[in-house]
Amino acid sequence: MRTFQRMRAASARVLSITVLTVMASAGHAQVSTTPPAGIRDRTPRVVAITHARLVIKPGVVVDDGTLLVRDGLVAAAGARVSVPAGAQVVDAGGRTVYPGFIDAQSRYAQPAEASEAAAAAPARRAAAVTPAPTGARHWNRLVHPETDLAEQLKPDAKSAGELRRLGFTSVLSTPQSGIFRGQGALVSTADAERLNEVLLAPRAAQQLAFEQGAWPSDEYPGSLMGAIALIRQTLLDARWQQEHAAWAARHAGAERGEANLALAALAPVVGNQQPVIFATSDELDYARALAIAREFKLRLALAGNGHEYRRVAELKAAGVPVIVPLATNEAPAVEDPDRALDVSLAELEHWEWAPYNARVLAEAGVPFALTAAGLKKLEEQFWPALRKAIAAGLDETAALAALTVQPAALLGVSDRLGTLEPGRQAQFLIADADLFRSDTARIHETWVDGKRYVIGNAATPDPRGHWTLSWSGLNGPAALDISGELASLNAKAGNATFPVTLGEQQMLLYPPGELVGGKDRVAIVATLEADRFSGRVALPGGAEARVVGTRERAATRTAAAAAPKPALPGTLRYPAGEYGRAEPPASPRALVVRHATVWTQGAQGRLDDADMLVVDGRVRAVGRDLKAPTGALEIDGRGKHVTPGLIDAHSHIAIARGVNEGSHAVTSEVRIGDVLDPTDISIYRQLAGGTTAAQLLHGSANPIGGQSQIIKLRWGADADGLRLAGATPTIKFALGENVKQANWGESFTTRYPQTRMGVPELITDSFLAAQDYAERAKAKGGEPQRRDLRLEALAEILAGQRLVQIHSYRQDEILAFARVAERFHIVPTFQHVLEGYKVADVLAKLGAGASTFSDWWAYKMEVVDAIPYNGALMARQGVVVSFNSDSDELGRRLNVEAAKAVKYGGLSETEALDFVTRNPARQLHLDQRIGSLEAGHDADFVIWNAHPLSTLAYPEQTWIDGRKYFDRADDAREQARIEAERARLIAKMLPERVKALAKADKGTKDKPTPAEQAAAELFEHGWHSRLASWRTPYHNSEPVDVCTDEEIH
Amino acid sequence: MKRSILALALAALAASATAATPAAPVLLHGADLHTVSHGVIAGGELLIADGRIAALGAKVDAPADAQRIDVSGKRIYPGLIAANSVLGLTEVSAVRATNDMAEAGAVTPEVRAEVAVNPDTELWPVARANGVTGALILPRAGRDGVIAGRAALMQPDGWTAEQMTVKSAAGLVVAWPSDRVPEWLPQAARDRAKEAQQKKRDALAKAFADARAYAVAKAAGTVRVPDLRWEAMLPALERREPVLLLADSAVEIRDALAFAEREKLRPVIVGGGDAWRLAATLKAQDVPVILGSSHNLPKRRWEAYDSVFAAAGKLAAAGVRIAIANDGDGMAASFERNLPYQAASYAAFGLGEEGALRAITLAPAEILGVADRLGSLDVGKQATLFVASGDVLDARNAVERVWIDGREVDLTTKHTRLYDKYQSKYRGEPKP
Repeated sequence: MRTFQRMRAASARVLSITVLTVMASAGHAQVSTTPPAGIRDRTPRVVAITHARLVIKPGVVVDDGTLLVRDGLVAAAGARVSVPAGAQVVDAGGRTVYPGFIDAQSRYAQPAEASEAAAAAPARRAAAVTPAPTGARHWNRLVHPETDLAEQLKPDAKSAGELRRLGFTSVLSTPQSGIFRGQGALVSTADAERLNEVLLAPRAAQQLAFEQGAWPSDEYPGSLMGAIALIRQTLLDARWQQEHAAWAARHAGAERGEANLALAALAPVVGNQQPVIFATSDELDYARALAIAREFKLRLALAGNGHEYRRVAELKAAGVPVIVPLATNEAPAVEDPDRALDVSLAELEHWEWAPYNARVLAEAGVPFALTAAGLKKLEEQFWPALRKAIAAGLDETAALAALTVQPAALLGVSDRLGTLEPGRQAQFLIADADLFRSDTARIHETWVDGKRYVIGNAATPDPRGHWTLSWSGLNGPAALDISGELASLNAKAGNATFPVTLGEQQMLLYPPGELVGGKDRVAIVATLEADRFSGRVALPGGAEARVVGTRERAATRTAAAAAPKPALPGTLRYPAGEYGRAEPPASPRALVVRHATVWTQGAQGRLDDADMLVVDGRVRAVGRDLKAPTGALEIDGRGKHVTPGLIDAHSHIAIARGVNEGSHAVTSEVRIGDVLDPTDISIYRQLAGGTTAAQLLHGSANPIGGQSQIIKLRWGADADGLRLAGATPTIKFALGENVKQANWGESFTTRYPQTRMGVPELITDSFLAAQDYAERAKAKGGEPQRRDLRLEALAEILAGQRLVQIHSYRQDEILAFARVAERFHIVPTFQHVLEGYKVADVLAKLGAGASTFSDWWAYKMEVVDAIPYNGALMARQGVVVSFNSDSDELGRRLNVEAAKAVKYGGLSETEALDFVTRNPARQLHLDQRIGSLEAGHDADFVIWNAHPLSTLAYPEQTWIDGRKYFDRADDAREQARIEAERARLIAKMLPERVKALAKADKGTKDKPTPAEQAAAELFEHGWHSRLASWRTPYHNSEPVDVCTDEEIH
Repeated sequence: MKRSILALALAALAASATAATPAAPVLLHGADLHTVSHGVIAGGELLIADGRIAALGAKVDAPADAQRIDVSGKRIYPGLIAANSVLGLTEVSAVRATNDMAEAGAVTPEVRAEVAVNPDTELWPVARANGVTGALILPRAGRDGVIAGRAALMQPDGWTAEQMTVKSAAGLVVAWPSDRVPEWLPQAARDRAKEAQQKKRDALAKAFADARAYAVAKAAGTVRVPDLRWEAMLPALERREPVLLLADSAVEIRDALAFAEREKLRPVIVGGGDAWRLAATLKAQDVPVILGSSHNLPKRRWEAYDSVFAAAGKLAAAGVRIAIANDGDGMAASFERNLPYQAASYAAFGLGEEGALRAITLAPAEILGVADRLGSLDVGKQATLFVASGDVLDARNAVERVWIDGREVDLTTKHTRLYDKYQSKYRGEPKP
């Protein structure tokens, strides 16, 4: 056999693998440019698979059809396909032929080092300088879109075999590290010596992810928002590079643009030609990737994370395909009731919902592909996971589509892969009909581009059925019925039942002696073909008998009827789990609060026994005996106090994966608005404390931080639903100890600025650059200008379109910045400003706001002179003063903070309450909408059980836009629901958990990556704020966004 | 200016008092007396003599030389006790040179909090100005620490730490090892925490075993040179001194209680965020709780938004003896003045005002074994008390005058001094 000769030339390793492979009539599918070694392969390459139940594509099935393969392609498929002379015929024996599966998120054929390096992102590199890469690459280590896996992959027979055994015939091998990770290669899973033989499409898609380092480090980006900013700037640069090159080509003598392989590699991405696959790590990443895709008109597919069911409406609306992992989470540790306390309801619910993920998407009509990525033991887990999804109600046709036509479509190869229509590559599998349902159904063969791979002893025919026997040498029974599962078959002849086992194209039967006229049980060893077996009976004493069995052609086996769809586990809420909402709070057209003490914080002052009328989400009037429209909701306010919703002018709630982009000294391009986390339970808790709006600020790790986001605390909304639309944008600046890295340890001593002398110079320099940038941008025509997101944000400040919020403590730094502000004609709000009382006259003259703490002091050097009289003293000098929280905890009792302005400095109660209502609104230029209860203002208000400045007061109801977002009575009901749900789910998962504990194998623990090691170390040292980039949605509000370490405030 | 003259006068008064010249008796009259031990005496009188409360009631007999102070319309309270504090052990917590909170090593029972309390800290006068006249100072456990040292009850009056000390050896501090790690951190963090916890547990077990061996040897007279560590643990082993078990989560508390039971100790749970979940056990074993600040977030997102606020009320309802304190970390030292307000948050959500007041006065005095001297307005107790403009639990009210052991103390602080100084700036005066 010629094939054999070829194999002898190959290594022993390849030999041992290839013995499993039956090199049937189809040889190499391609014309090779490699000089042949030895004798050429001229095996005929026409194959007909006959008597097959053909699934030509999802939903199109031909019973008893023929599939004709020529030169590795499908030539014909259907019921009436004539088999040409000379074709090799493979009788499928009624088994089912499915199109081969495609996995669009695979690590196949990647050199091991590559994926390990991926994990080794530096976690706590202090002031280390990233070495410049070789080649004309992007300045940032994580941006390498030019990476081309077609240059790196090496076919791996072991993995290829594993994939084929599962049914995968093609995979997109995707790069695993970086932000712009590079371009994946679509390869088949055929065995090959060289990638050339199996590479179906190089550069099939660009892979992106929101990867980030961990702050503190000089490595940019150190936050999710930094990663997003870097992606946007890079895409802008790629576009600009194209435009500039085109312009330069038209203008002789034009200056040459910078050469950059990374940007050049992005040309097909910004040109909407190459698909972009965005890896997501949680449900909030979808919106982030979608926003980028919209902005740059990308051909996007999302690589999902298993939480797609929670955002199905958003995905449906986006109309973008999603690659959904089959991997689901294990039951969390709930066996110890005291430890089970630490498992959230969201997590418990996810365990119950995860198997329904694909079904929910299918039913909503979201296009999706399935991936095996994330399954730790691929071969053990893939089919059980898929069947679990089907048992949970995923339609089998949709499941097949998600493994064939859907991934083919999203990779743009529908004309080549995914179905068995003529012209497609001959990639298919032959399997039992109930492959998608029964745990015992098997794949018998996988064909890749015409190459046949028989799986294990699957070539052995299925012997189940009625056999007619003819004996020679003894008188045995005339017929035999074989039934049961393939792994435990039984034969029945007359009254006797006896076991049958299968070997490789072999069957062994063990009839009792009586059946064959003897005494002792005998063994029959039979060669098994499709409808015939020929056996030898070894008789006691050395004699021998023979038996031949024949059977009628087995009918095409159709699968048993599918089980009815189970009901979904319940109603989805948002956020998932505890306190989530099934729908937004009702919006009554009109409502009136009667006979309450109303603190308008406006011209009307405080009114006792007053009414407040709200129509269409806005305050209509406050006064006595107001007439309400018919049908208005009436709220009895007797004994209650009504105040405007409290406004927190300095908050870090609802921010995902990093509050600081603390790497560079200037990071004005990053936006908190890109990383909102609507699942942060702090939103709900602060609503319960009467807070209705907050300014979410970047941290203070650098002199010019990032852009802030002002939100309303509309719990239950998504990220976009939180935004306070129409607000003037703001940005964080910072001075003092944090920006000069004073408390960061001895390894952070080189970034400029390290002193309070350098800070104003750096800021001045940045403003000058922004001025110049804005002027150049105004110049019409001429050379295409590079859009610079960093300078653009600063230019907005200079144009009066963005308000500076400057973190500050000491009077010297406040004064120095005040002079910078005067020079550039900007009016900032000073944050913290704990020594503001020393220069209150300067602040007043500048017209600056002061957003301070009520009584914080002494925790670090620059606050040793902080005094609780600060607020009152500044207010007396004419400064607009607010009290803020800067704390997830304090943000839910700002009313008591305000009360301290009465105690320290003797302000009136109304003046004090202004500190957390009207004044922060004034600082944010929002006082015409929020902060006071006046006609036309947003109906954001709180109904208190007692005087709002009392330490004993709490909100009974909190309203935003005329919708009730918090109600203490509703909350009590919700708590009861949460307790009941927890009990139910824990009881439900205990059996699975107990089973897992019993077989707990500790050997399989993954070795932690350097980044994970570093995180563990940081946690042990109590540097919690440095772990912000690890914190996922649905957290417990563990304090990573504010201090336990001192550098944040 | 007027204020600082008054301050000087008061300072002189305080100084002379400390010099042990018996002050004239003082009669405070016209205020509501919030005795804590026996209700409120409206518009009553309270006589201070020889550093003690000599009499109190609607009307009391005062000696002719008594200084009569009209405090009509005000309230008088016993001094507040902050029962979990590092006042004086830190000044600026971000500046390492000012911190003396945690000794190195796993087992340091020999260290005593009172010896490192800085009598001239700027922090304590600020707390004192809001009625905090007592604080239990606890050595903290460092990163590897488990037996941290011994606590002392201190009061903010005296030239030296010794004069400030009300009771030394007020409790052996054991920081119960925790392995709680946020769910979103990688497994490596959990593994590491588990290892560290095991190490600490081993150190704790070994320390108690060694200390018991030492006790046996000592009783037999075979100890030649004392071991400072085990000497320091003897009172706790013999139940003469409580063991302050810093434990917060349900797992930590249950394990700490089991340990205390095995070792037959006199435990007090300090922190006790989840203590309400074990209220029945705590009640059954009569273990008191010095509860941490109400101004903490619930540990878990599913827990009620007010679960921390409601904890004290639930413990009290179950019959558990509770005091209310802050969290005892470096940051909390600068917030000690807010003790009454965080007690108020407990009050509003089930504990009630009376219970909240008791939990920052008499209850800690009882738990620390000084209720014969402090914690309430009762005849014979030390005259450590203050006059407030209204309900001390309400942040709008001011503490106006404070007496410690019968001596009136100065209420000026760094804050009032800076306030005065910068008010003068805006009056156009030159910088002093």
